Amino acid sequence: MADIFQNNTVTHFPDISKINFKSIEKKYLKVILLNIGIVFTILFVAAFMVDYKNLLELKQHSIGLYLIVFIMLLITLFVKIVGFKKRKYAVREKDISYKKGLFFRTLTTVPFNRIQHVEIDQGPISRYFNLVTLSVFTAGDSSDDLKISGLVKEEAVQIKEFISNQIDG
Amino acid sequence: MDNSEDFSQFKRQSKKGILIIYLNLLYKALKAFWILLFLFIQKFSKISETTFNYIYLGVFVVLVFFLVRAFLIFKNFQFKIENNHFILKRGIIKKINTSIPFDRIQHINFKQNIIQQIINVHEVNIETAGSAKAEISIKALSFKEAKALKNALTIFDKKNVTQETVITEKPLLKVGFLELIKVSLTENHLQSLVLLFAVLIGFYQQISELFEGLGKREVLDDYISENTSTLETSVFLIVSLLIFFTVIAVLSSLVRVVLRHFNLTVFVKNNALEIYQGLTTKNSVILKKDKVQHITVSTNPIKKKLGISFITFKQAISGKVKKKQHKIIKIVGCKLAQVSTIKELLFPNENLEGFDKNYPDAYFRARLYFRSILFFLVLNIVLYFGFESLHVFWMNALLVPIFIFFIELKLRKRYYLFNDELLLLGSGSIETHKTYLPFFKVQNVKLKQTIFQAKKNVADVVFQTASGKIKIPCISMENALKIYNYTLFKIETSQKLWM
Repeated sequence: MADIFQNNTVTHFPDISKINFKSIEKKYLKVILLNIGIVFTILFVAAFMVDYKNLLELKQHSIGLYLIVFIMLLITLFVKIVGFKKRKYAVREKDISYKKGLFFRTLTTVPFNRIQHVEIDQGPISRYFNLVTLSVFTAGDSSDDLKISGLVKEEAVQIKEFISNQIDG
Repeated sequence: MDNSEDFSQFKRQSKKGILIIYLNLLYKALKAFWILLFLFIQKFSKISETTFNYIYLGVFVVLVFFLVRAFLIFKNFQFKIENNHFILKRGIIKKINTSIPFDRIQHINFKQNIIQQIINVHEVNIETAGSAKAEISIKALSFKEAKALKNALTIFDKKNVTQETVITEKPLLKVGFLELIKVSLTENHLQSLVLLFAVLIGFYQQISELFEGLGKREVLDDYISENTSTLETSVFLIVSLLIFFTVIAVLSSLVRVVLRHFNLTVFVKNNALEIYQGLTTKNSVILKKDKVQHITVSTNPIKKKLGISFITFKQAISGKVKKKQHKIIKIVGCKLAQVSTIKELLFPNENLEGFDKNYPDAYFRARLYFRSILFFLVLNIVLYFGFESLHVFWMNALLVPIFIFFIELKLRKRYYLFNDELLLLGSGSIETHKTYLPFFKVQNVKLKQTIFQAKKNVADVVFQTASGKIKIPCISMENALKIYNYTLFKIETSQKLWM
């Protein structure tokens, strides 16, 4: 199989696999855990209500119901905690990259000259930890662009400034 | 170019526009309330004389109200061209001012429905890639005005003005009626049937919602189930129903294709394609070359024998209009030479011949099989518990070979190849699709890998363009990274206009 790339000077292109990715802020794990805590508290309350009021008429299986929610909690915790280390980002001269995922790994790179605008936002729990989410939007169907959660606010602002300068220049 | 029309001052559309707007308003009202009308006709005999008079009066008031409204819409609808912007004022109470820079215009399209054909006016639609709100529809312009407006809008680049005079008025391609029939007979009839069903189900829902509102839902459901329960017992009926559906499917393809693509003519003008088509609604689309993100050339075995294929053009879409099924621009019935002419126009000097095809990694086959095994497992379990009979497992004898056949076809048609500028992706199972994507049009690149893929060291490469995703599935990590890096390199060094 003749690979066309090898005819080009491939080695001169900057290689995405060679750059050093930066992990996101450790504090963000607490935000994730808090969020999971809230969601599963609601789920457990819901399960309790179903059990207590006998809504679905599965009195004898009520332990199974709790067990399902509990197993879901364990799986979510495992995926989120182990997967947390996989969340990494890198800003290069001309693009920004983000990789994540434990079972489903993705690496996304958005070149600056395709970016339409950059946004920083902050959830209520994140605010307490001074963390933000940086979102990057491109043109057209931009549902699947890049979104990095768990950045320290000051750093995110710096990245935003940097990207804005690159877009204008 | 026609310079006789002056767009520097605010202009209204043709006076006939009032009629078009009026009928349009009435049509919308009828569409929303047709069921009420239907009920009204049903109870026609039960209504007393005096109520009739009130109804007539009510209808009259509504008609007059719409007429006044149509007149006001017409009166307040003004447009002009200024500093390479198209400016539009509209709105009766809430005034709306829209201004669109020329280079944001995606395409301009002319439309004529039956009424517009009768009174000889053209509807001009101006579409942008930006927000959905900026989409503009001028309901009635004379052909001369419409053409002049189109010319004024398409020439945003001053250099093009001189070139515009050398227009080749000879069409690139013209699809006659006989060829259209050929096209429609080779269409995907299953798809036509599904489309037809979607329309019918929409109808059914509208009716059943109404009956539900009137508390008569059960009556309707009973009626339907009574009539379907007899069906299940009769094999003869099922067979004749199948034949009936086949005929319906073919017929609906025929009607769909002829209505939409009647008299399809394509012109090439220096930087744009002009496409004219349609029977009841005449459509003309002007497609700017730079706005096309990627094209797909498709064919199927029968079409291939006849030497025809169709080309689908993908333009940038706005995230907001995603829900609305955006208009797909399609040229049907292309001969091979015409396909290459269009390719030459969109991607000049890009020759992909002589480059070797690259096939997905062996893992791709494993994944397809693995997914179908999963599908069969679920299907079997559900059906077994559904019918509580071991006989359901017999269907696997029929379905499994079909699946294997499709998977092997799919595998054979999946490949990718590329030169310095252009990526070509082959896909399809029964149909064959070839997608051409210039590297610099890509918005962002993704590398996707499941944990199983990671073990085998393969990955999917996903190109996100302004008009959707394009994926190369399961190629070796090494190649994936090369393509990834190369695409980024092309985007970041490209100076060309990408949308």
